[in-house]
Amino acid sequence: MKNSLFALLALLLTMSVAVAQRVVTGTVVDAKNNESLVGANIVIPGTTTGTVADVNGKFTLTLPASATAIQVSFIGYLAQTVPVGNASNVTVSLVAGGELAEVVVLGYTTSRKQDLTGAVAIVDIATVNKTSTGNPMQALQGRVPGLYIEKTGTPSGDASRILIRGANTLGNTDPLYIIDGVPTKVSQVFQSLNPSTIQSIQVLKDASSASIYGSRASNGVIIVTTKNGANTDGKLNVQFNTSITAQSEKSQRYKLLNAADRGRALWQASVNDGVDPADGFGQIYNFDWNRDFRNPRLNNVTVRPFVGGDQNVPVGDTDWQSVMYQTGVITNNDLSISGGTKNSSLLINVGHLNNTGMLRYTGYNRLTGRINGLTSKFDGRFKLGVNLQLVTSKEVPTATDLGGSPTPSLAISLAPTIPVYDKNGEFAGPIGAGYSDRNNPLYMQYLNRWDKIDRNIVFGNIFTEIEPIRGLIFRSSLGLNSTSYYNKNIEQSFQNGFIARPLNSLTINTSRFMSLTWTNTLRYNFDLGAHRFNVLAGVESIRDNQNDIISYRENFAVQTEDFFVLSAASGNASSNGSSTGSRLLSQFARVDYGFGDRYLASVTLRRDGSSRFGPENRYGFFPAAAIGWRIDREGFMQNVKAISTLKLRAGVGRIGNQDIGDLARFGLFEPRYGLLASQVPNGHQPFFDQFAQVGTAYDINGAKTGTLPSGFVQTQGANDALKWETTDELNVGLDFAFLNGSLAGSFDYFTRQTSGILIKPPVASAVGEGQLRFINGATKTNKGFELNLSYFGKPVGNFTYSVSTNFARFRDKVTVLPEEVRSAYAGNGVTTIIGRSQLDLFGYVADGIFQSQEEVNNAPRQPGAGPGRIRYKDLNGDNKIDPLDQEFFGTSLPGLEYGINVNLGFKNFDFSLFGSGIAGRTGFDNYIFVNNFIRGRENVGPGVFDAWTPQNTTSTIPALTLADVNNETRSSTYFNVNTSYFKIRNIQLGYTLPKDVIGKVGLSALRLYGMVENVFWLKSKSFSGPDPERVDISSIPVPRSFTFGLNVSF
Amino acid sequence: MKNKMLISLLVMAGSSLVSSCSDFLDYQPQGTLSSESIKSADNADAVVTAAYAALGNGEMIGPTASMWVYGSVRSDDAYKGGGGVADVQDVNLYEQYNLTQPQQGDGWMGPYTWEQFYRIISRANVALSSINNLTDAQFPLKKVRTAELRFLRGHAHFMLKMLFKYVPYVDETLTSEQILTTSNRTLTNDQLWDKIATDFQFAFDNLPPKQTQVGRANKFSAAAYLAKLRLYQAYEQDDNHKVTTINRDKLQQVVTLTSAVISSGNYSLFPDFAQNFIPEFDNGVESVFAVQYSINDGTTLGRLQFETGLNYPHGAPQYGCCGFHQPSQNLANAFGTDANGLPKFDTFNTGSIEFKTATVDTRVDHSIGIDGHPYKYNPALPFSNSWIRDAGTYGFFQSMKEQQLATSSFYKKSGPFIGTAKNIDIIRYADVLLMRAEAFIELGQQAQALPLINQIRARAAASTGRVKKADGTNPSNYLVKPYEAASWTQTYARKALQFERRLEFALESPRFFDLVRWGIAEPTLNSYLTVEKTRRPFLSGARFTAGRDEYLPIPQREITFTKGLYKQNPGY
Repeated sequence: MKNSLFALLALLLTMSVAVAQRVVTGTVVDAKNNESLVGANIVIPGTTTGTVADVNGKFTLTLPASATAIQVSFIGYLAQTVPVGNASNVTVSLVAGGELAEVVVLGYTTSRKQDLTGAVAIVDIATVNKTSTGNPMQALQGRVPGLYIEKTGTPSGDASRILIRGANTLGNTDPLYIIDGVPTKVSQVFQSLNPSTIQSIQVLKDASSASIYGSRASNGVIIVTTKNGANTDGKLNVQFNTSITAQSEKSQRYKLLNAADRGRALWQASVNDGVDPADGFGQIYNFDWNRDFRNPRLNNVTVRPFVGGDQNVPVGDTDWQSVMYQTGVITNNDLSISGGTKNSSLLINVGHLNNTGMLRYTGYNRLTGRINGLTSKFDGRFKLGVNLQLVTSKEVPTATDLGGSPTPSLAISLAPTIPVYDKNGEFAGPIGAGYSDRNNPLYMQYLNRWDKIDRNIVFGNIFTEIEPIRGLIFRSSLGLNSTSYYNKNIEQSFQNGFIARPLNSLTINTSRFMSLTWTNTLRYNFDLGAHRFNVLAGVESIRDNQNDIISYRENFAVQTEDFFVLSAASGNASSNGSSTGSRLLSQFARVDYGFGDRYLASVTLRRDGSSRFGPENRYGFFPAAAIGWRIDREGFMQNVKAISTLKLRAGVGRIGNQDIGDLARFGLFEPRYGLLASQVPNGHQPFFDQFAQVGTAYDINGAKTGTLPSGFVQTQGANDALKWETTDELNVGLDFAFLNGSLAGSFDYFTRQTSGILIKPPVASAVGEGQLRFINGATKTNKGFELNLSYFGKPVGNFTYSVSTNFARFRDKVTVLPEEVRSAYAGNGVTTIIGRSQLDLFGYVADGIFQSQEEVNNAPRQPGAGPGRIRYKDLNGDNKIDPLDQEFFGTSLPGLEYGINVNLGFKNFDFSLFGSGIAGRTGFDNYIFVNNFIRGRENVGPGVFDAWTPQNTTSTIPALTLADVNNETRSSTYFNVNTSYFKIRNIQLGYTLPKDVIGKVGLSALRLYGMVENVFWLKSKSFSGPDPERVDISSIPVPRSFTFGLNVSF
Repeated sequence: MKNKMLISLLVMAGSSLVSSCSDFLDYQPQGTLSSESIKSADNADAVVTAAYAALGNGEMIGPTASMWVYGSVRSDDAYKGGGGVADVQDVNLYEQYNLTQPQQGDGWMGPYTWEQFYRIISRANVALSSINNLTDAQFPLKKVRTAELRFLRGHAHFMLKMLFKYVPYVDETLTSEQILTTSNRTLTNDQLWDKIATDFQFAFDNLPPKQTQVGRANKFSAAAYLAKLRLYQAYEQDDNHKVTTINRDKLQQVVTLTSAVISSGNYSLFPDFAQNFIPEFDNGVESVFAVQYSINDGTTLGRLQFETGLNYPHGAPQYGCCGFHQPSQNLANAFGTDANGLPKFDTFNTGSIEFKTATVDTRVDHSIGIDGHPYKYNPALPFSNSWIRDAGTYGFFQSMKEQQLATSSFYKKSGPFIGTAKNIDIIRYADVLLMRAEAFIELGQQAQALPLINQIRARAAASTGRVKKADGTNPSNYLVKPYEAASWTQTYARKALQFERRLEFALESPRFFDLVRWGIAEPTLNSYLTVEKTRRPFLSGARFTAGRDEYLPIPQREITFTKGLYKQNPGY
């Protein structure tokens, strides 16, 4: 190793041999029908130099004189090595049904797939378009083993949780995105990429492949390359995609009680508690009953005709879910114009997406643009290029009511007796006793219809590549990531029943994030006999700055959209701002070595200096190494015809996570003139924090108004030793292909340990305010595997088919956590989070229902116990039920994720079906909470009529009670059910018009398709809610959607 | 070796590209200060101000200025209120003496209050250590500001002690490590009182009689607070909170200290009781020490008081939330007077008082919202039963002293809750008079207490100007007379004193702490519950356990953070 590195150094410094070269053009077609294969990969064997076939299947490639062949590959086809001899034009016919052998973009460099030694998932790019929300992240759900995505139905389509190989830290788990070589942690940059402009997506999963990204890599890296114009000999290609989608959440709705039934349930619950139902609900219902608490008998319940007795508000029987939701319509159009010559290429893409939103008065609108250009001179030895992504989007978000409750959850919980409108057509609200202090959610969403979140993204780079000597490429790239966020929040004054906001206000929150990345690399690829070297070295500097401004004004005389600008207000004003940033300075190198195409090895080193690390640990060092063995190339395998590929990979490495906050290491004193707990970190409860003062200003003069004297307060303790979180990983993988490549797949097993996880241990309050500091204190381990299998069927006549599946599993656990921090996680003094994931569930063990007072008397002492009440297990046998009787009973992360994708083709028809699911997951079923328990001020499900009574003793639903003295909604196994599911997520049927037909009208391709998403799903019987994928009732559910679309090119 | 070579390679490739690595990585936080710059003379007054500011940083779910949850709801004065027992369920646990249940809501109330008081203490200690470094020449106000900070520290420790009994005492000489090894039982009950007293004594010895900035502590606010402390300390408790003896020496100190306050001439009773509850009169003659609040002061919301932000009439359209802190029937009954205009010590709680016919103490219409009576001195908009949120559970009364009119310029609704810029008096002059009366009575010098109590009653009787209805009549039939010297025995005087404190400070929350101090919490509260649960079935499971419920449990998380160093209170 040492010698070869010396040799390398010598070569770098001295080698300057000019090499002759020539140009080969060609066409790649399907061997069967001579259809051109758009996007086929062409590489020069033994190098990473290559190109991609254009829309006509044509390519142009500059070859060094030494090259004798080109290698051509395409997804689903057998790769071919084609000798070129002296020919300048070749036609390559590929046979369907082969392994994947394309060029893979890795960190700062590329590799042939066959030479990979790390765990890299290559996304089948055809799937990225298969989403109606225009968000590529949603399309990836279930497609990539080891990439776990949770999503909601929010109009912007933002994914709510993205994990690569599980949760490896207790903090931020967001992956790093590298888009055209520019890094970003802003997932919106990726999520707003127009799918039709994406050339490739690779997911770097293990340490040996990701360690080139050092201290930012341990949550995984997603590498995206966007398309360029490609060579078309000056001809322009135009591609236009359009689609329209209808979205509906009807299949996700909860069954709830109507107005009269709710009265019956409230009566039962009241008499169970020994309380006259008229005391609590007499203003809403007339209860006609025998008034005998021993033998209560209900004759009739009628709803009082007016809400709170107000003649203007006739009582309703409102189904709030149907009031709040409508069919959402998404229109998505995008246009790409691309073209180029031998030396230059250009791609321009514009896209427009509009989502009218299922939740009424919400919506999302996005305009995207992309310019990718490349020009070269001196036979391609000097290149200059630009990749630029422009996004502007506007979202009208989900609103909350005056008390902070989001409208999607109010659509479930609000009493049905409140009508939507009163007699005068005004929005109705709660009046009189018996109602919660919650608002009409439609009114809230209507009042917030002028709210908006504007996001503007400018993302891209300019780069140059200089090849002073053949094979030695210097690349310099200046990347820019500018994300601005503008949130206009108008709070109109209103009166809604007894709930009012007397004073209107406007809050403008603007935030600007600016990241500049300057990357300089040297690559050198060379062979020494049978020894092949790809060498990379580079430096990178990243400067991030974030500035936030929040301005607030009160009292606007007129409530129109145009009037809500800050200067139009006449009331109280306040303004706050903050500024933060970080710097990262890195050096890195990578050597890939191959011997005789059989033995592969790679070594990666990265050194990161970060302004986030304390002075004692300013620089982190992240090494990795991997080896690969192409067993199939060994002599003894040459006669084993059944096995076409067999490669064993193994890698070890160290990667880091520097998402520890820009200022975590500093001891800080701040002036906090008049801040609220909600405006600074470390609050107590997000809603109440909006009313909790943490300021340093005080009216020491007793003036009661005007500018106040103010001071400083400590807000954070310093830790000069603070450093990155370190992940050490071992990955072992096997790539295989059988039956001449028809059956291909790979398997990876990993085990990793993340140590030095950043935590902020609480200390005894007596130590005082602002004394908390971050330390590198916790350790987690994580083990798992990924498997994918694809079968590319041999065409049968006009019928083609392929099937691919993937499986992934991980299990993470916390192994070290300082004692004083443990109380912040699930557990009690005895059972702790150690040995568990932070996403595991903890609580009491429900053990049926007490049937009689005698059972209660004989059971361990349980406060609130009684006949009909849930019995909890006395786990520690101390004859009383207390916090020590809790245990871990499940996890909210799945034991297994899996997906299956089927592609069928018949003549001009194409069909794809994609399903994915999770297994081995248990968790909280929100509908049990809604359906099995009554609450005096919220609507509930019909399950309450099956509750336990002395007559109905077999029920699993405890006797109705409003007092809940047994605290039955505590965390317990009662709510823990199997939340596994399998979903058919996507079915698409397309028809491509024959070329001879469309050729006459000047088109080169025209495809029509229909698509259904979230088609149907299977779930466990024990899960009573509509959809286990909906984990949060505060957000809009994932809809079922129907899309019709058109792809045209000419 | 391998590294070195690679790095040399990299340096060749990149040395010209990045000029200075260390400068590039040196990012400094924006808008912040270092601990060194805090300690300069220029910033000394600012850190003192920050310590005062902590007084007003209590929160709705962790109050420090208003003790309505701990002192009023836990006593016989009031119910939690709101929309049923499950609405802010944590407070229901306090009301029902159910604090041994698994803590709901992740530390709401007691644990947060504990934390907030230690924030006051730490801000005071940070300021003290900054000032200690300065000379008198550098900071001429050094002595006064030091005394003020020790007053603030004394206040926070006193409140903690009143709530939790055994708490760690922290001063500026302790490092963080030393604080973490300081148990809540390092000092005995009596030693802890004395330790807190040294701060008040220092303040008393070093503060000027008056401060031009009225929000600051002065000599006599320190005297009054020290008197309050000595009065609590005088009732000596055993390990199970049982009052064993009353220390005459401490009582005598109460007399001496209150003399100082009274003879200062700084203070007197407001002519109208109402003035204590209207922000326009804040920092007036009756306020001995108060937490200051302000509005339209350039802060995000105003430095408003939200600790009682839930406690406004829910059904009143001008408020719209949330109906907490409802007076008990027992308290309403206590305002009834007999034919002599005196409280009905033993018979007040028979039946429910009928406000249309009964003779009552004037203070009822300053304290309780009653159907048809002016609410908060506004005859145009009388209180209505329709304003009550959950009469089925909590009856038809609403607390009123801490509330303000929605039209007040010191009132602000934010979200569902209500903040006001009305100060919260920690000690008002009426308290000084009644503490002095209490000391005299327990010293057997009850004759000296009589004029003090009657001074309070005379002011009450005269306070009818602001409570009148629109037609100029009184909403209730007032009859408040002074006590006569004839029957003024020690036993009678003690009853009179206890009743007077209840009426004078009703819903201002000293009630529970008074009962514990006097050693009568268990009999008083359990006999209250026996009757009250027949009126309000939600109380049917409530029972006060002597030897436990006098004090709050030490927050479990604090015991965890100190790895069991803190000892839990008995019974929990």
